[in-house]
Amino acid sequence: MRVSEEAYPSLRIMPSALAETQEELPFVVIVRNRAEFFRWLRKPPRALRWLQVEGMLADSEAWAEAAHNASHVPLDVMLFDPASEFSDLYRLVDVCAAREVRVTVPAAPGLAKVVRLAAALRLPIRVLPGQPAAEALEELHDALEFYLHEPMVETPVEFFHSLLAAMSGGDANSLWMILEEDAEAFQLFDADGQPRLPRAADSDKVMTASAAFVETHLNRLIAEGAECATCPWQQQCRGYFKWPDPLYSCEGIKQLFSSIQVAGNEIRKELADIATADAESISSPGGDAI
Amino acid sequence: MSERVFSVILLPTSDCNVACDYCFEHKEPHRLSPALLPLLTKRLLDHLENEDIEECEIYWQGGEAMVMGPAWFENAGEVMNRAAAQRGRQFVHYLQTNLIGYSQAWNGVIHKMFDGSLGTSMDYPNLYRKLFKGGAAAYTELWTRKLREAKAAGIGVGVIAVLHQGSLEAGPERFYRYFTGDLGLTDFQVNTPFPGGPAKEVEGGFQLDSSELADFMVGLFDIWMAEGYSSGVSVGPFDALIDHFTGKQARLPCIWKENCSNQFISVDAKGTVAQCDCWVTSYPEYFFGNIFQDADLTRMLKTSRARRDFVERPKRLVEDEDCLSCRYLSICHGGCPVRTYSALGTMMAKDPYCEVYKAVFACAETHAREILRARAAPIVAPRQRHEVVLNHGPRQTERTASGS
Repeated sequence: MRVSEEAYPSLRIMPSALAETQEELPFVVIVRNRAEFFRWLRKPPRALRWLQVEGMLADSEAWAEAAHNASHVPLDVMLFDPASEFSDLYRLVDVCAAREVRVTVPAAPGLAKVVRLAAALRLPIRVLPGQPAAEALEELHDALEFYLHEPMVETPVEFFHSLLAAMSGGDANSLWMILEEDAEAFQLFDADGQPRLPRAADSDKVMTASAAFVETHLNRLIAEGAECATCPWQQQCRGYFKWPDPLYSCEGIKQLFSSIQVAGNEIRKELADIATADAESISSPGGDAI
Repeated sequence: MSERVFSVILLPTSDCNVACDYCFEHKEPHRLSPALLPLLTKRLLDHLENEDIEECEIYWQGGEAMVMGPAWFENAGEVMNRAAAQRGRQFVHYLQTNLIGYSQAWNGVIHKMFDGSLGTSMDYPNLYRKLFKGGAAAYTELWTRKLREAKAAGIGVGVIAVLHQGSLEAGPERFYRYFTGDLGLTDFQVNTPFPGGPAKEVEGGFQLDSSELADFMVGLFDIWMAEGYSSGVSVGPFDALIDHFTGKQARLPCIWKENCSNQFISVDAKGTVAQCDCWVTSYPEYFFGNIFQDADLTRMLKTSRARRDFVERPKRLVEDEDCLSCRYLSICHGGCPVRTYSALGTMMAKDPYCEVYKAVFACAETHAREILRARAAPIVAPRQRHEVVLNHGPRQTERTASGS
């Protein structure tokens, strides 16, 4: 099946079978078995940006091929059950020497273990929070604490990393964009070639087809009196945690944002202090700078 | 081509010309035949091609490598390098020797094949390295003379020292002075001991108390930082740890790799393949295969049941041990399999020197932080720097948030 030719300026993310018909526009292929994985690894078309590898972390044969294959296609390795899969990250050690590898993990029990081990292996991480339940929320807090205060962490842990950068004075992006779930830039297709949002149920297909989904979604939430209207992090979140269930309580999420904000403020202050000190040392009359 | 480097610890013989008490190797007179060298080379090059690896480091050891004689090495280097060049690959050779057999006749091949340098070993005090006739004192005297001759010939010499109870009793300062002062070395490395192979009485001296060993290592680290770090003395593994903690590219020793099974193998004179020299000389239950009998080294490594334990070990450690919650996981990964196996009879446990490593890592981290603080300090004269501190309070130079 071929994805519709109508104009999607976004990066297309699609299952392997559907991707066979892609030619010019940049795309990402979702691979779920060894045959699909090897097909794209061995003959990557020019427009292929990366492979989203799902459910294959325990397949050592697959990783041996990924470590030795001459192509340099980057990999986004997705975990679905962090608690049982985390230790398999060691299978990626050799792969990292051959190509860029990122680990994507849902906010679920075992998340903190994945973040710790991936960081120890210097693997960039993307945490997909979704609408985390209490246990997962606790692990998100643990993972954030680890990311913020453990000096041995060298690689970015998204979405913490981009939010922290924004709250420290850097460029701001919405969570949808940071997590590559904004349909305006990242268009996910199902096996039927229909565009849809991540985490969307079948009944949501029609509304997710729109690239302007995030704006529409946020406006609807505000109009309906959701807590987003007065949320201090509305610009960064843009209703991310109110999807697909608009009644999800963001109380725990707000604490998470608050922790990032505190760290961002500290960094901002430190940078300002350093700039002030540097300016004083340069402008000080008679200063014996060496 | 992949940037990975594959290493082979190659034992051209298990024969040795000395009689060290703690040696765990089976000293067989078997020697690698020049007739088998092309086949060995082919097997290695096939593997490099299969793995898309350009460079292979060959660490020549023994037994005692110099037993083979300089002419043997000259031929081996030519055969291997020529074959590698024909297939667009490269061998880089390193020599580890006890130096006892060194003479001027070696200078040519050492400069040509080993880039003018070699590695050797000496302990302080030397109690266990012995000649067949004359014991430890005679060994030390002869070794020291050979060391001086090699250095006089323009050969760069790095020394590995294995710590023992006597080292701890001598103390880190005396230990450091011996290598840098008495021997005039600028490059040495300290290794923790382990009772490889069948247990022997003398190995009691190599079961060191972790707390005492940690104190010694930290003391040695401090002395090196105070006296050697800024004046060109290199002490392993401390130098690599300082590189790591100051953000430089660091080549940490094999005991702290993510998974040593991905990085090297050892091959003995009979073609036996195992994880490293310690395994190939001591533990037949962990042999991977034979490079002369198995036509495909890549396949051997992939299918070896013995090797699977090495591959799975780090995974098991983060599941079963407390390694995952250790802040030094990224630079340790549970430590050395052979140190673990020789002490506990299983490799599926963390390294028994865990507490020693943690003490050394913490020490390195503290020293590195001071180095970074000094670098981050404003480039002003001391008086002015003091004013800055008074005006703004102590500056936080550690990251509040990492990765930013």
